[in-house]
Amino acid sequence: MADEPDAASVPEVRLRDLRPGGGPVEVLGRVVSFSRREVTRRSDGGRRPLVSGLLSDGTASVRFTWWDPPAEGIERGTVLRAVGAEVGEFRGRPELTFSWKTKIGPASPAELPKVDTEESPRRRVAELTAADEGFRVEVRVARIAPRSVSVGEERRIVHEGLVADASGAIALSSWSDFGLKVGEAVRIAGGYVRVFRGRPQLVLDERSTVVRIEPGDLPDPARLLRAPPRPIADVEDEGGGASVALEGIVVGLIPPSGLVYRCPTCRRAVTSGLCRLHGAVDGVADLRARIVLDDGTGSATVAADRDATERLWGVTLAEVLRRLKEQPDPSLISEQMLEALFGRRLRVRGPATRDDFGLTIVPESIETVDIDLDSTAEELAVRLGGTG
Amino acid sequence: MALRELAWRVTARELESSLEEEKGEGERPVAHLLSPFGARMNRVLLAGTLTPPEPVGRDEPATFWRARFTDPTGAIAVTAGSFQPRAMAQMRSVSAARPSVIVGKVHRYEGRDAIAHISVRAESIRAVGETEERAVLAEIVRQTLDRLDLVERIEKEPGVPDATLRSGGAPGPWIRGARDAVRRYPTVDRAAFRRALVAALRRVAGDSGPQPLAGPSSPAVKVTREPAAPPPLSAPTPGERADESIFLEFVDELSDQSVDGYADLKDVLERIAQRGVRGDRAEAVLNRLEEAGAIEEPIVGKLRRAD
Repeated sequence: MADEPDAASVPEVRLRDLRPGGGPVEVLGRVVSFSRREVTRRSDGGRRPLVSGLLSDGTASVRFTWWDPPAEGIERGTVLRAVGAEVGEFRGRPELTFSWKTKIGPASPAELPKVDTEESPRRRVAELTAADEGFRVEVRVARIAPRSVSVGEERRIVHEGLVADASGAIALSSWSDFGLKVGEAVRIAGGYVRVFRGRPQLVLDERSTVVRIEPGDLPDPARLLRAPPRPIADVEDEGGGASVALEGIVVGLIPPSGLVYRCPTCRRAVTSGLCRLHGAVDGVADLRARIVLDDGTGSATVAADRDATERLWGVTLAEVLRRLKEQPDPSLISEQMLEALFGRRLRVRGPATRDDFGLTIVPESIETVDIDLDSTAEELAVRLGGTG
Repeated sequence: MALRELAWRVTARELESSLEEEKGEGERPVAHLLSPFGARMNRVLLAGTLTPPEPVGRDEPATFWRARFTDPTGAIAVTAGSFQPRAMAQMRSVSAARPSVIVGKVHRYEGRDAIAHISVRAESIRAVGETEERAVLAEIVRQTLDRLDLVERIEKEPGVPDATLRSGGAPGPWIRGARDAVRRYPTVDRAAFRRALVAALRRVAGDSGPQPLAGPSSPAVKVTREPAAPPPLSAPTPGERADESIFLEFVDELSDQSVDGYADLKDVLERIAQRGVRGDRAEAVLNRLEEAGAIEEPIVGKLRRAD
């Protein structure tokens, strides 16, 4: 590790300029994220350790795989210099591999390239895709709130929200407090994009810069959160969105809906008393509903948590547990829930993602909607008038 | 795409007027009933009055029930069998005609006389208040009018690109349905259909109780078709039901014996072939059972009973 890197023969390359197949290179970058694991060798069944993660130098972030890494000295934020790294390619993106031939040592953050964030290219929110870096955006803050999360052993505060420009909205996750306030127009540089739960998310940390600007023609964030519902078929075609509104009628529930048990540590669903990660656990009772909402153009799954489920259904978890004592058949619970929800008109708002099973929305708000029958009848009468 | 079929908002009249069917293709074929008014239906949502059901067949206890559904535009049969236990229980709890909202799968049955009968196999039924029925009916009328506009637009201007219609606010599935309607139903009496919708609109506006239809009560689509007989028998034929029960028996038997709790599709097909159910017929049984939700195939080639 402490060897002076032999810099004579390999070129130092900015991560933005990495091209696969060009021979070994020298790179400098900061470890943004990493995880340790072991793979089993096929030949003799021996275990070989590796660290994989994301390396960033401010111009781009690139995945790396480090074979036989040292047991200590790799942390989030560590700046590394790697001489003789191999450049491969995975799904059209360059990737770095550090092997025994690579000389790796710590470097000073001061050595990282000075990226003038004012000069990085301006991008529209709708253009941002996973692993983008080295751009700036001009957006307005539609929503922002701090949340305490545990990262490994420590508790950290992450500021989560939603920002938007005229092209669209994207979720924001900031590990540094920039004092962002709802309604502010800001120029953000030095962030990167990662995919979280199927949606791109703009991530900021202490290296990012935030400058207040004039709103200009940036959209009013309040309007973004009040936008009228859109046809489910259209949202499905677009693959979802950071903040979409849908309105439809409840036509069914998909299992698991009703009473579920969750791992007390990670909140994953417990099946047969086993958590996928933590083994045998005493599951904690929870209530959820996966509601099929249909608007006549398409359908979406609304993943309602306990709060939303209790509010919509009007039955609390405690009441469900009491009913279960009297009538120990959990399937009755979801029957009763469907009976109460089926046919009701709901408007939901939140981030939506699409996968092989269709569109799923995690609601930030759910409300039941009543139609004004008189004005609707009048309006329809006008449309049908010519044929009456 | 293995996406869920949407629930088309339709009236009984639109269902009665739908004669053309489009068979699905591929491993999991999904059939669609095409309406002259732009609906391409596998699943539908109805709002109207449901009468108490009657058992179909001679099984004791009855495993198949049929009820008459009416809205201000017409009437249609709604069925539920033991493969839809919840819908069957909901239907059987109807002891007097009541306003109801129904979601179900359309079913087209062509008898020996070549007359197509349309019915709806209920997935969920809920008795509702009058206000709720009227609200859902309002949405049905509104979406039906939107689809009619789309059909008429495409009829006038067949070359209009999808993209133009999309930017005008028409959802993708509706454009496809409207194009199918224009192609498959060259002559349609849409004026008669609009008159039927006027009756539905009166109900939305609060007129209650039975009322005469505004227009002539002949089918809205001018096609050669016998006048509709009493609610058609849309249940599977006794032969089909027999195939289904043999199939289910093998699924149960094989999944009981297997280590993983699944019945191997290959084994089931082999056994049922020995009983004379082969090829397309066996495939049809599998599809019916899956569609009815009686069995599921969470892993390709592995079957189990759905609970």
